Amino acid sequence: MSSTASLGDAPLGQAPFRSGFDAALTGLEAECDGGGPLEGTHFAGRQYFTGRLTGHYRDFGPYPWRWYLLDSLTRKPDGFTHDSVWCDGESLYPVSDPAKSIEQYCKTE
Amino acid sequence: MNSPLHTPLCDKLGIEYPVVAFTHCKDVAVAVINSGGFAVLGEALHTPDEIAADIKWIRERIGGKPFGIDLVLPSSVPAEKSVAELLAMIPQEQRDFEQHIKQKYNVPDPKIAPNIHVWGGLDQKRAMDQLEVVFDERVPVFASGLGSPAFLLKRAHELGIQVWGLVGKPRQAKRQIEAGTDVIIAQGFDAAGHTGNIGTFSIVPQVVDAARGTGVPVIAAGGVTTGRHLAAALALGADGVWTGSLWLTSRESDLNMPLKERLLEAETEDTMYSDCISGYTMRTTRSPWHDEWMSDAAPEVLKPPLQMILSSNYIQGSLDYQRKDLMTEAAGQGIHYIKEMKPARQILSDIVEEALDVFDRFAG
Repeated sequence: MSSTASLGDAPLGQAPFRSGFDAALTGLEAECDGGGPLEGTHFAGRQYFTGRLTGHYRDFGPYPWRWYLLDSLTRKPDGFTHDSVWCDGESLYPVSDPAKSIEQYCKTE
Repeated sequence: MNSPLHTPLCDKLGIEYPVVAFTHCKDVAVAVINSGGFAVLGEALHTPDEIAADIKWIRERIGGKPFGIDLVLPSSVPAEKSVAELLAMIPQEQRDFEQHIKQKYNVPDPKIAPNIHVWGGLDQKRAMDQLEVVFDERVPVFASGLGSPAFLLKRAHELGIQVWGLVGKPRQAKRQIEAGTDVIIAQGFDAAGHTGNIGTFSIVPQVVDAARGTGVPVIAAGGVTTGRHLAAALALGADGVWTGSLWLTSRESDLNMPLKERLLEAETEDTMYSDCISGYTMRTTRSPWHDEWMSDAAPEVLKPPLQMILSSNYIQGSLDYQRKDLMTEAAGQGIHYIKEMKPARQILSDIVEEALDVFDRFAG
């Protein structure tokens, strides 16, 4: 766990998480093989993003399940109006070396 | 001589045939398991209590045989959203177009409006709450239909749970194999729902290559509906097949009858890879909703979940009033070969026999 992590304020209905920041990730260009369940259905959908990591992350649960904030999006699905997206760490691929995991760039654990 | 259909996946699961049924129907799952195949029940939409009840129901009927539960793990979530904000974000142009479709096709209002007030921002929480049931119940196999299950591997393995991951790209397979995922499902573009953009014939051998020497079985998914597909998947190096559309029209399936009839009539060209249902691209059967949103008069498709908010009344109305002419469902390109409503046991038996015939032909 990061020494910079702190308890985050989870919005109503969301899982609690611990927030953290890793400066080593700031500005790293990455692709996200994203997606998720479609609310109210048994369907799911894929979404692909490219952008730069801000260095912010959130750890959910005891595992932990780590998510990173991807900003300055240069690729996002048509109609996606947000400027940033939270991405599961295992679904992120550094553009300069997709074989590496994001964790390999981290200074924090 | 060993059966050509006996693969390492059979040994890993203790099953007779390397055919995995993905289904949202408990009766289909039980029928396939008791016929020598394997089944994974899709529970992404269910509450933890419902999942626990379904697990109990299945266990009471399969005599200790293994089974799987599939959940959808989100892998990207917009930075912020609220239901009130989402509703306000639907432009008048798209609202008007929805009404135009409704009037043109006489689409009925649903009997009970879809509950959109539970939507938005619940992605991680929902998945984590559902996962606790999988852990508590020590389900033999957990399959992640979307998203990487890497974060939960340690805990799952400590509890004796196999973890399967479904991938649409070779790099996702490499990442998951390195993390320790037990089985990889390589899903091609032919598949129903949220497919990647690589065809089944191209992605399966690439994932097989990525898994070579690791002992991780690979299951082929996407368009698999016949014994010839099963034989071809094994020839590509896969250890089994993942089938979904195949079971939608089975006798045991709980889909309503007009929708089953619609699926039995559907051809490959009737499965459309479109974002008009949800805002995500996904493969579903063609309907007037698709035709209208693909027409020149259509406005821009909205982002998720706004488009789903628009389409949900149409879909629910078509189901509530059994309007076959309006219905749509996720289905893969292999739907061409699904022409009869058969018991699940016979579906499995037909696939196995056809695959064995293929191998006999090559051997002889």
